Amino acid sequence: MLLLVSFTTTRMAVCIAIIAKDNSPQYIAALDFEKELELQYRVHSALDVVDEKCAPGLKPSQDSRDLYLGLLYSTESHKIYGYITNTKIKFIIVIDSNSLLRENEVRSANLNHMSPEPEIK
Amino acid sequence: MPLTFLISVCGNGPLFRSIESHLVTSIPLDTCEWKRSYGRPVKNVRVEAAFQPFDAKILDKFKNDNWNITEQPVLHLYVTECDIETYKSTVKEEIDNWLKMLSNYGIFDWMILLVETVDIKKTKNILPRTTVVDKMRLDFGAKHADRCISVLNPIKFEMKATESFRCLLQRIRYLMLTGYNRNIVKYEELVRTNREKRNQEGWSFIKYFLLQEQLAFVLEKLGLHMEALVQYDELDAMFSQFVLNSVFGEKHQWLKVFERQINDFNGITMNSKKMAETRKKVVDSSASILEFRSYVFERQAVLLNASDRQWEIAERLLPFLFATLKEIDALKSETPDGALSCWQFVCALEVLNVCDRAIESKDMTNVFHHSAPIWNLAKDKLYELGKLCGLLPGFTPTSEQLHMVVQLSAGIGDSFLDEEPLMDTKVNETDRSHSPKRPIRQSSSDRLKEALGSNQAFQKLYLELSELAISTYKHVGRLRSARLVGLDLGNFYCTLSKPQKAVVFFTDLLRELKAEKWNYLASQTLLELASCYRKMEDWIAYTKTCGSISCCLDLEILVRTFYFDEFLVSLKCIKIPDGEDGSDETIVNVLEDHFQLLSIEVQNAAQIIQDDLIVAQIKIESHFPREILTNQISLAYCAHDKQAPDSSKQSALLSMSLHLEHKQDNSLSTASVVCASKLKPLNRRSSKLPQNVTRTDFNNEISAKNVVIKPGVNVIELTSKATRVGVWNFKQISIIVDEKLEYLSDELTVKQTPFEITTKAASAVLSFKNLVAGIKQPVKLIISGGSFIFPKCSMIQLKCSKNLKIRSFETECMDAIFKPEVSVRLENFKSFDERTISMEVICELPGQRDEKYFEHSISLHCPWSRNEIQIPLHFMPPFTASCRLHSSETRKFLQVIIKGTEASLVLSDAKMTCDYKGVNLKDQNPKSQNNIRIYQGLCVSYLWEIEVEPLKAENELPVIKVNFNVQYAHNDDLDDKRNFVCKFDVQDYTTLFRIYAKIESSELCRVGSVCHLNLTISKIQESSFGDLMYEVLPDQHTWAVCGRTAGVISSEGQSVILDILPLCAGFLPMPNVRLSKYIPAGRNEIHPKLEPFPPGQVYNATKSVQIHVLASATEGN
Repeated sequence: MLLLVSFTTTRMAVCIAIIAKDNSPQYIAALDFEKELELQYRVHSALDVVDEKCAPGLKPSQDSRDLYLGLLYSTESHKIYGYITNTKIKFIIVIDSNSLLRENEVRSANLNHMSPEPEIK
Repeated sequence: MPLTFLISVCGNGPLFRSIESHLVTSIPLDTCEWKRSYGRPVKNVRVEAAFQPFDAKILDKFKNDNWNITEQPVLHLYVTECDIETYKSTVKEEIDNWLKMLSNYGIFDWMILLVETVDIKKTKNILPRTTVVDKMRLDFGAKHADRCISVLNPIKFEMKATESFRCLLQRIRYLMLTGYNRNIVKYEELVRTNREKRNQEGWSFIKYFLLQEQLAFVLEKLGLHMEALVQYDELDAMFSQFVLNSVFGEKHQWLKVFERQINDFNGITMNSKKMAETRKKVVDSSASILEFRSYVFERQAVLLNASDRQWEIAERLLPFLFATLKEIDALKSETPDGALSCWQFVCALEVLNVCDRAIESKDMTNVFHHSAPIWNLAKDKLYELGKLCGLLPGFTPTSEQLHMVVQLSAGIGDSFLDEEPLMDTKVNETDRSHSPKRPIRQSSSDRLKEALGSNQAFQKLYLELSELAISTYKHVGRLRSARLVGLDLGNFYCTLSKPQKAVVFFTDLLRELKAEKWNYLASQTLLELASCYRKMEDWIAYTKTCGSISCCLDLEILVRTFYFDEFLVSLKCIKIPDGEDGSDETIVNVLEDHFQLLSIEVQNAAQIIQDDLIVAQIKIESHFPREILTNQISLAYCAHDKQAPDSSKQSALLSMSLHLEHKQDNSLSTASVVCASKLKPLNRRSSKLPQNVTRTDFNNEISAKNVVIKPGVNVIELTSKATRVGVWNFKQISIIVDEKLEYLSDELTVKQTPFEITTKAASAVLSFKNLVAGIKQPVKLIISGGSFIFPKCSMIQLKCSKNLKIRSFETECMDAIFKPEVSVRLENFKSFDERTISMEVICELPGQRDEKYFEHSISLHCPWSRNEIQIPLHFMPPFTASCRLHSSETRKFLQVIIKGTEASLVLSDAKMTCDYKGVNLKDQNPKSQNNIRIYQGLCVSYLWEIEVEPLKAENELPVIKVNFNVQYAHNDDLDDKRNFVCKFDVQDYTTLFRIYAKIESSELCRVGSVCHLNLTISKIQESSFGDLMYEVLPDQHTWAVCGRTAGVISSEGQSVILDILPLCAGFLPMPNVRLSKYIPAGRNEIHPKLEPFPPGQVYNATKSVQIHVLASATEGN
């Protein structure tokens, strides 16, 4: 949890959420309080895509060890990325679509911060 | 549509023109295999040919890398008709020049066609040595013999020419494609070279775009849609990169073309005419970025549609829209308000139309999958436009807004529907069975214009799009997204003042959110619902919702208390409609939203006895912000089913099983674990409706009435009488507030152990070991209470049979007296208690001599039964007594023998008395041995001499009764002495005869030498007996009688001498002599009878005398 809080301070994400195995929210933080409600709805509906991506037998070719689910969906203003652990804990990150972040940067940034010993870039 | 290839023609023009039309029609009739470079897949293509005269200018362009692939001939043809002489003189040189020119331009795709008009065989009967074709091949076709071909002029030889002409066609097709292939490779190189120059001054993307697009066109025409698509994708990515880089200052001159005001924002269209128009704009550099982007996407869509990948069009749409918006932003192109929304809306609808036509494809799920978000986008964009133009419910457009609508409508542009779209339009209405019915013939832009025209049209379209978004999301299983659209739609209905419609969507959303514990969002939805219910004046639902809101821990306390007050106020006003059967119906609420049951603990001991009170303590957490008074809290219980596994465990574990595969020789091949539940996939949790709480059977319940529940954790005790026997589990909890509002729980999830209500028979038994009569015997009364509930002063009565007495130690005094009847009080005796009461019984000892058991019984009267319980008891005598009469001449002695049995006793004060006068008993027992211990197997003898006065003859006292009395005490309790009394009868006590035997021998008795036995029987007392008979009964091992051993004598007495022989040495006992009464045989009898004397009447004086017998003399020596 501490690692993820530090992640929000990198100003990349407008919202991050940790979702439990039963899809209940464990932690949600949004940068903009005004938009919190909308962002929560976004995160919630992102779970649809997480469910799809993790549906059994759908994509056996995908490396099951890979936590990164990639872009879940995007809206005009936001891009929503997902990560899932082996214990089905989901990390949902909402990024401003105007952010010039590349997808592999999102991926590596998150993985670094989630690993037990984060690298400091 | 086959691709038309250009073929340049040189040589005999008029001759060629005569066969040109034939070639043009015949070439596309068949396909030809196209072998491609770089290992690309082989493809069968159909080609068309167009012929043009050879022109070196075109080849100049080619050489200067300024050529167009569609304008470049793929094959160069030289046509001639000549005989060998003409060939040698002129044609050969012409061809040579032609070929040199071609090779100068680096072209090797040529072909020489010799048309044979003159039939050689007809004119000359000799075969020529060499033909023109052979010559040609020899001259030019060193490596390319197949490029020189002769054909019979089809005009002149109609029948014969067919075969040769077919060969020609095949050859032409093949060489065209070979040439074309070369051209493509060359063109690709050209494109690549051009791309490398992209950073040079003066390079223009638009020119490059048109260059590479040529390739795409060609590939498309060859049916290589995906390869054509790659060209557009490359261009797309390249353009994006340029725009992206321009943000960082790397701005190219050509990019300025796109930095213009966007006035036209026609969405994409799949109309070829429109596309061609846009392309013209691009070529003229007059297209805006929006038009250029739309054009690229349209082309991509056309290609994807052609390869039946409609889903990919849908997939690409949203990224395309968002990326384009960003590019417009980056290029700072100005757009009128709402223009981009219009553009996105039309694009979305156009793609949806394409998807709609594609429903027959096998990727249907995929299509729906990607079209769902597009419906949602269209709906959102329409809403934005509605907001902008004052079309939302409750608004009327101002004149400014009306003006805006006009401007936007102009920008949207006209539809191109007069011409059928280029793609497959055969799909008719009936084929679209998967898709919701809607008018499709109206173009996307027209629909938008219509919607912007009036509030009603706008509403209609918005509602339609929303419903379609929801249904498509639901169809692909994205329920959360569907609910989110539902939220928007609900809000829209609210503004339409149709709260009853909004409620449906809000309720669905709420259920979804609650199922996944998104409490913050759920509480927001509850607030929406509350306002809907208020508008609808549905006070019951309003009350329920207010109650739920006040329990939302995520909300501010002020909000919660406000709604709590609302809840209380409206609760008072609610009137419940009577149930159909007139019973009091309650308004059911989900308990879990308001309370949380933390634990249930049954307070009773392990088992609850029927009719006892069940007491259970529940811990319940109230989420209400204030105290709430409940009428009743009840907890229903139902029979515990041991078989039913824990439902929660069942769902958590998959049923895995071992799967073994064996080889033919029965050895193990593979071992694996198989999950059988793949067939029945795990259900989504939200498909369960948590609102469907049903009231279970509350006939078995424990409850508490009028309890105030405070916010936070409450501990409440619930009680009830246990009525039914069994093992039970708590099932459901119900809390009733204000008589009409009931909070019912779902299935209870708290940990609970089943409790048992039982009943068990009470019992009372006596426990004892071998009982001995005459002494105190310990006995235990064991009472087990079972489930019987004992009254406060219950008792057990014990009644003994005759001669048996009992006492209990239950009371403190140990010296309770023995009574034939005793009551045991069962004070504070509880169910399932077991109590053992020590008691003692004593059985009176009758003057019994033998070892018989005394049978007794005790009957119990217990409080739980009306019947008496009979318990049999068997007592053993403690000892036995017997009496024997002994004689010494005429003196008489009585011996009393006491034989010990079970108990260990001490005997004392033995006495013998006789009531007759003239009978005197003389105690012969030593006084020092008054106390004698006896135990099992030990015999004790007492001796008395009995003297009867001579006057009292036996005929006067035939029987003398004597009383024996001895005191005994148990070894453990010597003070508790008891009397044992026994009566004996003495008879035949007078000595009548005396036997005297004597061994007479000359010297000493020796073994083997005969002695005389002198037997003297003398009468002592007068008797009535007649003759007597004596018998000598020696031990056969010691004595041998010589002669007769018995004889009859008179009762007066007589001496008899018998010869006997000692058989062994030692002190031998005197041979036994028996005297009996001799009764001669009567009339009817054959033998006389012998009758023995009682022991007291014959005295054998020498009974135990021993005779010293020496060993025989001879033996001794």
